[in-house]
Amino acid sequence: MYTIEARHIHKSYATHKALNDVSIEVPSGSVFGLLGPNGAGKTTLIRIINQITGPDEGEVFFEGEHLQPKHVEHIGYLPEERGLYKKMKVGEQCMYLAQLKGLSAKDAKGRLNDWFERFGITSWWDKKVEDLSKGMAQKIQFITTVLHEPRLLILDEPFSGFDPINAELIRNEMLRLKNAGTTIILSTHDMGSVDTLCDNIALINRSQVILEGAVKEIKNRFRTRTYELAFVGAGMDLGIGLWGDYQLLSTTPKDDMHIAHIRLPENKQLNDLLAALIPHISIVSVNELIPDMDQIFIEAVKKFNAEHE
Amino acid sequence: MNKIGLIIKREYLNKVTKKSFILMTFLGPLLFGGLIVGVIVMSLADNKSHQVLLVDPKGWIIEEEVVKPAQFGIQRNRFVDDAQMQFFFTTKEVNETAELKSGAYTMIVVLDSLTYADGKCQLFYESVPSMVAQSKVQGELENVLEKWRVKQKGIDYNAYQSIKQSVKFQMTNVNKPTEKEEVFQKAGVGFALAIIIYFFIFMYGVQVMRGVMEEKTNRIVEVIVSSVRPFQLMMGKVIGIGLVALTQFLMWIVLTGVIVSIGSFIYKDKLVSGAALVQQQGGITKGVPQPAVDELMDNQVINFFYDIPVADLLFSFIFFFIGGYLIYASLFAAIGAAVDQEADTQQFMMPVTLPLIFAYIVSVMMMNNPDGSIGTIFSIIPLTSPIVMMIKVAIGAPLWLRIVSMFVLVVSFIFFIWLAARIYRVGILMYGKKTTYKELWKWIRYSG
Repeated sequence: MYTIEARHIHKSYATHKALNDVSIEVPSGSVFGLLGPNGAGKTTLIRIINQITGPDEGEVFFEGEHLQPKHVEHIGYLPEERGLYKKMKVGEQCMYLAQLKGLSAKDAKGRLNDWFERFGITSWWDKKVEDLSKGMAQKIQFITTVLHEPRLLILDEPFSGFDPINAELIRNEMLRLKNAGTTIILSTHDMGSVDTLCDNIALINRSQVILEGAVKEIKNRFRTRTYELAFVGAGMDLGIGLWGDYQLLSTTPKDDMHIAHIRLPENKQLNDLLAALIPHISIVSVNELIPDMDQIFIEAVKKFNAEHE
Repeated sequence: MNKIGLIIKREYLNKVTKKSFILMTFLGPLLFGGLIVGVIVMSLADNKSHQVLLVDPKGWIIEEEVVKPAQFGIQRNRFVDDAQMQFFFTTKEVNETAELKSGAYTMIVVLDSLTYADGKCQLFYESVPSMVAQSKVQGELENVLEKWRVKQKGIDYNAYQSIKQSVKFQMTNVNKPTEKEEVFQKAGVGFALAIIIYFFIFMYGVQVMRGVMEEKTNRIVEVIVSSVRPFQLMMGKVIGIGLVALTQFLMWIVLTGVIVSIGSFIYKDKLVSGAALVQQQGGITKGVPQPAVDELMDNQVINFFYDIPVADLLFSFIFFFIGGYLIYASLFAAIGAAVDQEADTQQFMMPVTLPLIFAYIVSVMMMNNPDGSIGTIFSIIPLTSPIVMMIKVAIGAPLWLRIVSMFVLVVSFIFFIWLAARIYRVGILMYGKKTTYKELWKWIRYSG
């Protein structure tokens, strides 16, 4: 089951093509990372899912149905450029935004009270928005985004502008909502949060999806069969053990040990490497060097740009 | 609740609870009411007393009007002293400045050798005498000089008086034979309403523009259009602020009514004495028949608001205000969406405000000829009709004109709202780039 399925989306503005045959599938209940450099077309795709603008070509499905105006009540959207009415009071404003999402005044009030208590901000209700700090305003924005308990939550750079403590608060709320079954589309440049939060990603570059799939699977794909080996003994002994197709990328002394990066050939496993080395050196630890999303992102974008230059 | 309803409600409550709105709502009528009462009181009742010195070197007026009646021991009927004005006479030259400074006189009228023939004479004063005081002296002089000229021609003055006859139109509109017409006066009322529409469209149109810009620069607009369609947001704002304008207008009517009633009650005595003064003078002034003066007074003071087709005007006012407001407010909304900052609005404001100002100029011109064809043409063109039609309706527009004008207006506001919405939906999400007319044209044609 997919919460969002976008098929072959094309969208052009007067001067440039924002999306070129973009397809994504967002599995229900997962956190989906929408990645890409600035200007790649992420915001356009998000706006299409939010029905703020329409695609020139292609279709979008929400939980299997053609995307329709009635679906906006099941979507919560926190845009990157977000604001509030400065002159309005916090409570009034939350009530207004909640009712625009289809909540009754009574429901909105009840839920807002819960959230304000949870975030410890009940005293803000009658404050004017212009008197809030940026971090405070962000909290309010997050609450108004999730208040109507959307089945799909779209967060565009949700952590920008937050201090670490508030970012952690939002992160935990996201995980809580995910566990409660909410699907989350997370658009961000913060690859650390992609590593820890996302189940699936799509990487958009120059209006196209250049990389997509489950985070685990992608990391697998970008594995280079490289291991980091810490050992005690002479570097010479390592060389003796490493005959055949093993590729020694580097060795660096560290304290009384050496750290070596070794790439395995296709026909060898980790056990074969260890079996070959154990007679010559004493091994302290061994780890696979799995690329993090940051590296994958940079590598994929560079490769794509090089191919299309 | 319907989403557009929510938007309207927010806009409305947000505006009517503002201090500036409340202030305007109460200050406006105070100003208007105060002005109406004030003008009437000031122009009619001049409670200053005047000492008028008439310098008449030729001496004939003094001889005829003052010396002779005194000789015969009869009351003179020209230059009669009363509580407000005493007359003094001399045939000798005086130093006007010194006499006025000494405080003996407030006005000095100096005739010369030509005055008897051409009517030109000099009036000296320290502070400008009221119109009433001036016209009283003027009326007296005109009458005695006329008497002199009649005698010069060898005509018997009493005979001349008996054949003098003025002309007064009894005006009848054949479509409404029972209705008396005071076209210009009614046109004046229409003009006042036209000004209010002009003013309201301008004021509240700009508020719509500011509101749209606020949402855009605050970046709240993206959150809202993820819940409602841009069209709903735009119309919610336009309608909400329009209702604020109507509220203010209705409050003004009620409050102005209250203030005028209170004012005319307080100043009742002055109004009556003022009226008496004008009537007395009117009776002896040539060319202005007594009934006309009565009528003028009645209309000015008491019947001003009753002698016009109130229901008709009110309906038309509301209809044409709404129509005109919808056109201009949606255009202003489009401008607000197209720009990032207030300074950039100038280039787009121009073509929107021009027809509005033009409509105002047309209505000023119409005051000379309310029934002319220029007014008819511009009361059909939708960008000017909301203002120009007010005068037409006030003087009694024919049915066909009303129907055509209203039809064109409705079709037009639908068109302009459509046009504005197309600019709006693209514009509110565009940042950083200075928008050109070429770009606007692209937005309009842009699909999806």
